[in-house]
Amino acid sequence: MKHRTIIRTLAALIILALALAAPALAQTPKKGGIIRVGVMGEAPALDSHWTTATITDILTGHLYEGLYTLDENRRPVPMLAEGMPTVSQDGLTYTFKLRQGVKFHNGKEMTSEDVVPSLKRWGQRSIRGRPLFASVAELRAVDKYTVEMRLKERSAIVLIALALPSSQGAIYPKEIAEKFAPEVKATEYIGTGPFKLAEWKPDQYIRMVRFDDYKARSENSSGYGGARIAYVDEIRWIPVPDVATRVAQMETGELDVADDLNLDAYDRLKANPNVRTIAAKPYYWPVAVFNKKEGWGANQKFRQAWQAAVDIEPILKAMAGGRSEFYRMDSSLAFPEVAAWHTNIPGLPWNERNPGKAKRLLQEAGYKGEPVRFITTQEYKWMYDFALITKQQLEDVGFNIDLQVIDWASVIQRRNNPKEYDAFTTGMGAEEMYEPTLHGALSCAWPGWNCDEEVQKIQVELARETDPKKRYALWERQTLLFYEKVPLIGYGNLFGLRAIRSTVKGFNEKTDRIRLFNVWLDK
Amino acid sequence: MTQYLIHRLLALIPVMAVVVTIVFFLIHLIPGDPVSVMLGPDATEVQIEATRRAMGLDQPIHEQLFKFYARILRGDLGQSYFLDRPVTTALWERAEPTLVLTLSALLVAVLIGVPSGILAGAYRGSLWDQTLMTGALMGVCIPGFWLSLNFIYLFAVRLGWLPAAGYTSLFVDPVATLRHMVLPAISLGFNQSALIARIARSCMLEVLQQDYIRTARAKGLSQRAVVYVHAFRNAMVPVTTVIGITMAILIGGAVVTEIVFNIPGLGRLIISAILRRDYPVVQGVVLVTAASYVLINLAVDMVYAFIDPRIRYE
Repeated sequence: MKHRTIIRTLAALIILALALAAPALAQTPKKGGIIRVGVMGEAPALDSHWTTATITDILTGHLYEGLYTLDENRRPVPMLAEGMPTVSQDGLTYTFKLRQGVKFHNGKEMTSEDVVPSLKRWGQRSIRGRPLFASVAELRAVDKYTVEMRLKERSAIVLIALALPSSQGAIYPKEIAEKFAPEVKATEYIGTGPFKLAEWKPDQYIRMVRFDDYKARSENSSGYGGARIAYVDEIRWIPVPDVATRVAQMETGELDVADDLNLDAYDRLKANPNVRTIAAKPYYWPVAVFNKKEGWGANQKFRQAWQAAVDIEPILKAMAGGRSEFYRMDSSLAFPEVAAWHTNIPGLPWNERNPGKAKRLLQEAGYKGEPVRFITTQEYKWMYDFALITKQQLEDVGFNIDLQVIDWASVIQRRNNPKEYDAFTTGMGAEEMYEPTLHGALSCAWPGWNCDEEVQKIQVELARETDPKKRYALWERQTLLFYEKVPLIGYGNLFGLRAIRSTVKGFNEKTDRIRLFNVWLDK
Repeated sequence: MTQYLIHRLLALIPVMAVVVTIVFFLIHLIPGDPVSVMLGPDATEVQIEATRRAMGLDQPIHEQLFKFYARILRGDLGQSYFLDRPVTTALWERAEPTLVLTLSALLVAVLIGVPSGILAGAYRGSLWDQTLMTGALMGVCIPGFWLSLNFIYLFAVRLGWLPAAGYTSLFVDPVATLRHMVLPAISLGFNQSALIARIARSCMLEVLQQDYIRTARAKGLSQRAVVYVHAFRNAMVPVTTVIGITMAILIGGAVVTEIVFNIPGLGRLIISAILRRDYPVVQGVVLVTAASYVLINLAVDMVYAFIDPRIRYE
């Protein structure tokens, strides 16, 4: 009798121990497997210096690395650099020590010989590198593992520009950086990342395999920074342009991860026990950008009238498929996740819903019902939704909106020509907000052309000022000016829908773009 | 016959010349710029202009056209702006999935369409006729993409019998190719089977009115012998034309099916090429598609002679 009780107790304890250990075992990373990722389309290039296309950023983020990257708080942290740079007292000389023993995918060691030509190419080519290199006097290799950057004037953007993940300052082997001139797209893809390119079959797949000689950093993983460990043998990126097909393939298990899903599919995916849905935040800041060179967009009173007329929440809600968990009302020019530049300024003229004020401002602008060309696209459903409801709201107060729906390729061409439009729709991602001087909404070179003297004066001050407190004060002034000048209308924060299979473990939800290092499969 | 064939093949040259010229102008006339797409939404005008110069897109349109002609005469369709490979290589890579898809869809269309039409025609007014023609009407009315999405939901998501999308090469794993092709081929072929069935039925009805059929019946032949031995082959001549047209329609219709089922064929290639303004690829795909239309028509004309010995080409 006693014997039987002991056996029963032991059996119960073993079962309990196994039950308790099971989740812990499931959380233990393991190597192996192929992770299949459904993406919207094909990358226009795998040359990180060459384009800001989101898909290029996602793919090349696994192949290449820069001297710095961003942690989960969007602050620069070292990647190929050993640590933070030493800066001379006058703030004009930055010295970067490189990590030793880091290898390229071709087996060669990464040294200052590779860093200098890579950053020079990036500085001439990339929209992220050019603003920094405008103030670089000299970049040179001091020794095998030391690089020195001398500036013409003090700059606040050295670290952040080198850390941006979009069109990043990727370090290529010297031979590649010198072989492909800045205006020529690189077609050899060698980096220092945890994965290396194995095969690219356009419109079918891109295969990246684990780089076994990868040397991970010792710090804990945080955002894009810290240790990057490739657990899966292979990442297979599969372009699936039709969103309904991406959803179906997530349900059937043909894909393990899918991005940019339609919010209409949320309930279906959420009900599937094998799929986990993720609200990708931040995702986009939907904006209507005015052409400030000519036409009605160049009239400040007209822009203020538009700002006074719109009721943001119903527009944002429509974009988010009616789901409150996929949008956020916020007037700041930076997402709350970009904590360094998020502002909370009360009383801004945002979401005023004031038809009387809008009508008065229209009158002061001298507007008499002339057609206003507002261009948008149906390729991004949320853009079309917000343009359509905006049109209705504006016409209620006397605007005459000529909504022109064209394909995205035409939008990005036409918006470069000031003769062709008064306003256009687009969305800005977090990468626009990491650093105020690189913010697209405040750029004189970017379509819409925010060349206002006062705005640009503050931008110059922001670029020179290195004290974080003073910079933040300048940024608050810039935000107030933004709501007075109204270069564009911000429509709050829209979140995206991502999905992963329940067998995908260790997925990092703190990065704006998908990263699959530190991810393993529990199949 | 040989002379006729040579004559028809020579006629291909002016057709192709007209097609490539029209397509060249059409693709260059629509707004949108490959460089803007390639460089991403944040590119500045200065960067865009520099890259346009590097790619030769800043040259006058007539110069670009003459260079295009010169390349074609050398058998070179140019280099894709996006795919980092010659257009001919890109076309070659995409030809297999499209060919497999259109041929399987054609097989589905013929296997459903011809027997349905023959049966409906032979037993006019019967329950068979009414049921099959209602099915044909539905086939014409149901949009292909709707059918595709429902097939995916039912057979892939709910039942898990077949993959939802994708493609495996016939040379890698023929069984996987077959599994991937079942749903797209039925979705694409079902629509066209309706057209074939309706034409086959009316041809059958027309043939069954002929004197020689009456004679056959007077001789005491069974309905089966009359239909399958005497009427069927004669009814097939117009049906062959429709099958030829169907093949051409299927190449066009494959665009939607390839997108929904994520098949990396010519249809998906041309859609993505248009969206990113990859001019050389658009021109290449249209050239190949136009040539295949002409060649299919030629093949159909040749088949007539085999079906009906009275037809002779001088």
